[in-house]
This record gives sequence, structure tokens and C-alpha cells, in this order.
Amino acid sequence: MKTKKSLVTDWLNTGSGKSLIQIMSVMIFFAVWQLGAELGFVSEFLIGTPEGIWKRFVVSILDFSLFIDTGYTLWEALLGFVIGTIIGTAIGLYLWYSKWAAQITEPFIVALNSVPKIALAPIILLWFGTGLGAKVVLVVSMTAIIALIAAHQATKDADKDLQSLLFSMGGTKHQIFFEVIIPSSMPAIISNFRINVGFGLVGAVVGEFISSKAGLGHMIYNASSLYELNSVWVGLFMLMIVGFLLYHAIDALENFMFPWRIDSGRTQIRM
Amino acid sequence: MPTPHHIGLNIKMSDKSIQLSISGIHKSFNSKSGPVEVLSGLTFDVHEQDFVSIIGPSGCGKSTIFNIIAGLLEADQGSLIYRGEKTSSLRGRIGYMMQKDLLFPWKTVLENVLLGLKVRGEDGPNAVDMAREYLSTFGLSGFEKSYPQTLSGGMRQRVALIRTLLMDPDILLLDEPFSALDYQTRLYLESVLLEAVATFKKTVILVTHDIDEAVALSKRVVALSGRPTTVKNVHQIDIERSTPIDARAHKNFSEYFNLLCSELDIQTRKDA
Repeated sequence: MKTKKSLVTDWLNTGSGKSLIQIMSVMIFFAVWQLGAELGFVSEFLIGTPEGIWKRFVVSILDFSLFIDTGYTLWEALLGFVIGTIIGTAIGLYLWYSKWAAQITEPFIVALNSVPKIALAPIILLWFGTGLGAKVVLVVSMTAIIALIAAHQATKDADKDLQSLLFSMGGTKHQIFFEVIIPSSMPAIISNFRINVGFGLVGAVVGEFISSKAGLGHMIYNASSLYELNSVWVGLFMLMIVGFLLYHAIDALENFMFPWRIDSGRTQIRM
Repeated sequence: MPTPHHIGLNIKMSDKSIQLSISGIHKSFNSKSGPVEVLSGLTFDVHEQDFVSIIGPSGCGKSTIFNIIAGLLEADQGSLIYRGEKTSSLRGRIGYMMQKDLLFPWKTVLENVLLGLKVRGEDGPNAVDMAREYLSTFGLSGFEKSYPQTLSGGMRQRVALIRTLLMDPDILLLDEPFSALDYQTRLYLESVLLEAVATFKKTVILVTHDIDEAVALSKRVVALSGRPTTVKNVHQIDIERSTPIDARAHKNFSEYFNLLCSELDIQTRKDA
């Protein structure tokens, strides 16, 4: 017979039980923060309070500024991510096709990869101005090289036996490229989107830090120079939400694109 | 329409004629300690509608021969003569099957079996109908839209066999195709293979490390020496068989088995 205690622990092990524990832990975190601020342990001026953040959040929703800023940053990040990924992936795949091109471009790839792309931000703003274009170019510069390297590596990892099989059937290089190399590279390429979409947000926000008229980076930078910590938090939480949604959008894209992949299980084995 | 008399005559004629001559093939590979000679003047013939097994000690270059025939490797010396004509390889005319089923994981069963025809640009509606027919003959109807990862090992190897047969290759190259399967599945697939080969009148070259399998399936067995590899002997296997299980029950089976074991210096009777 089950005891009352084991019934509770059993329920806590179910999906909804786990969600409850997680929600509770977040709520306790904010409660402690709020209480700390009210009792004077936490500086409202330097750190902000959950209550203040919430008020600021409601205000910026009501005057639409939060939507505008979020939309601005999201658009810069997505546009740059898409362009950068397409360019990088296309070149990375092409480098399989042409050994000659691969040899010529290798030093440039190594050099570009070694530079932290964020260091290019000041010149990019110098060249492309302070508008949307500059941020998109910055994001492209960050994501393209990563997509290129991921795609090129994926082509090298493509199953040699499948290539041999197709060749023995009389397949041409062109057919091997389209039937083996590209499909077998796709999972690694898409999986890399997760990293790159994050870089997209980094590029957009840093671009806005340097010079901008709108966007979450703009909002965070301005608010922090005015010591409006609650506004800074609103911006950060929005970035968190955007990052989270983009990450899961890529999960959905993966499930949609690779129906042939059986779930090898993300859950850990029981230990 | 050919009369039975004609068919009989054709088989008799084709039994004698040579389809593929492998003649004086040499192949070396570079290793850290210099070139290693793997094949040293390998020579043997494959008849029309033959079933030849190649056995030999491990590492003797059995797969290398296949790679040369398939055009994946170039021989250093020697030649392939196909129906009287010298050729560099039989690329595009052979069906290659390996221990790994080499199904494309992102293609469905139907797309996988059509692959060879797609490469040739012959994957029209007729090909699809034929593929469905083959799938149902081999007990795979209903799985056309499944992905390979959802199938069992035996089913996957059957899909690979259908892919090979659909291309209507001149010669099937089978490189230990069943060695990763359990014994029951293997016996079953061996009989599927024998039946398919008889039905479609194909020539088969089978590489195997399994003497039992070689005797049960083949008309002839080529025994190779260790590296650098040459042909030690070619044995005619005179066993009337309808299935591989029949063959194993045949009175001459163990005689051939022991003969080939001694050929490969495997001790079967005395203590080692």
C-alpha cells in the first residue's frame, strides 16, 4: 500500500508536478528579491525590484514602445541570421564541390574565424551608417562564417560508404552532391542554427549599443545610463523571451524537416 | 516467344561462356612503413549466371577486388575483361551490397529501392510500379513510406537487395551482406537471394568469411592466399540445391566444407 508521502513524490515526478516545482522556484526567487528590496538588503537603485519591473513592463506595453523595440531587434537579428546563414551555408557546401576554391579560401576563413566578429562592429557602423543596414551586416558577419564552417565540416563528415555506393551505381559528382552530401549535411547545418540565432541577437543588440534610435539594445543602453534598472530588466527579459522562442522555433523546424530521424531520446538514462 | 528447347540451349551455352575475367590484378596501398602489396596478380574467371564465392584469410583484400570491379579503386596493373572486352571497371553495371545495408536514412523505403534507377534517370511511373511489385514479392508491401530506421536488420537488408536487383545489374557484388544478421534471418535471406538470383538469372560474386555460407550458396568457390594475395584454388561445388538449407543437408556438404577449411589452413579435425 502506498503511503501518503509516496503519493506526493509520485505526483511531483509527473509532468505537471515538475512544472509546478519549476514555477514555484521562480516565484520564490522573485519573492525573495522583492522582500530583500523592501527590507533594504537589495538596492532598488542599482538592482531594481520585481514590482518596479512589472510596472515598467505594463507601461511600455501600453504605450507600444516595447513591441516596437522588440520588433526592431527581432527583425535585425532574423534578417541578418537568414542572410548570413544562406550565404555561409551555400559557400560551405560549395567548398566540398570545388577543392580548388576550398584551398584558396582556407586562409581567409581561418583569419575571419579567429577575429571576434563583434570587434568589427565599429567599422561596420562606420561603413554602413547607423540604421538597420549596419546591424544586419554585423549579424551577417557573425553568422555567415559560423554557418560556413558548420556546413563545410558537415560535408566532410558525410557518409563515405553512401558516396561510394552512389558512385558504383554510376552516379556523377553532381548526383552525389545532391543525393548524399546535402541531405546528410542538413541535420548538422540546422542544428547549428541554434547557436547562430543566438549570435544574431548578440549582433543586433551590440549594434544598437553603439548607435541606434530603437530596439531592445537601445532601450537597455539608454535605461542603464539613466540608472533606470527596472527598464533594463524589462529589456533583458524580452531578449530572454525572444531567444527562447527562436530556439524552440528551430526545434520545430528540425522536427518538420527530418521526419526520418527517430528520437534517440534527449532524456538521460536512469542512473 | 522462346520455346523450352531454346531456353535449355541458352543456359547450356551461357554456362560455358566467361562473363568476366579478372586478369593479373596488382594493387598496393601506401602505409607508414612503405607500400604494402595486397593483390599480387589475382586471376580468375566468372561465368555467365555463375555464383562465385571468394573466401580467404582476413585482410587478404577481398573487398579491394570488389572496389576495383566497382570502379572505386584503380588497379596498379592487370585488367578486367567483360564479355571479351577490356574495361577499366564495371561502374554503373554492377549492384553492390555490403555488410552495412547502406540505405539512405532520409529516403523512404520506396525512394531507397528506386535510387539506382534515379541515378540513371529511369525512375518514371513504370519503375515505381515495378518497385512496388518487388517490395510485395519480398514481403515488404505496406512499408513503402517507412524510413529505414524503423525497420529490422533483415528487412533493411531485403530493401538493399531489392535496390540492387531493380537496377538490373550485370553482376551482383555481395560483400558479406548477411554477416551482421542473426543466423535465422541469415538463412532466410540466403534462400531469398538464391531464389532471386535464379528468377532474374543474375551472376553473383560473393565475398564471405563464412565457409559454410560459401558452400551452401555457390557454384564455385575461389580460395585466396594470405597477403600478398593470389588465387590458391578454384573449387567446383557440385551440390544440387533448391534452398541453402537443402544444400547444408546434402551428403557432399561436409566434404566440401572440410576441403575449404584445409585450404584456408583452418584446423577442423586435429587439435591445433
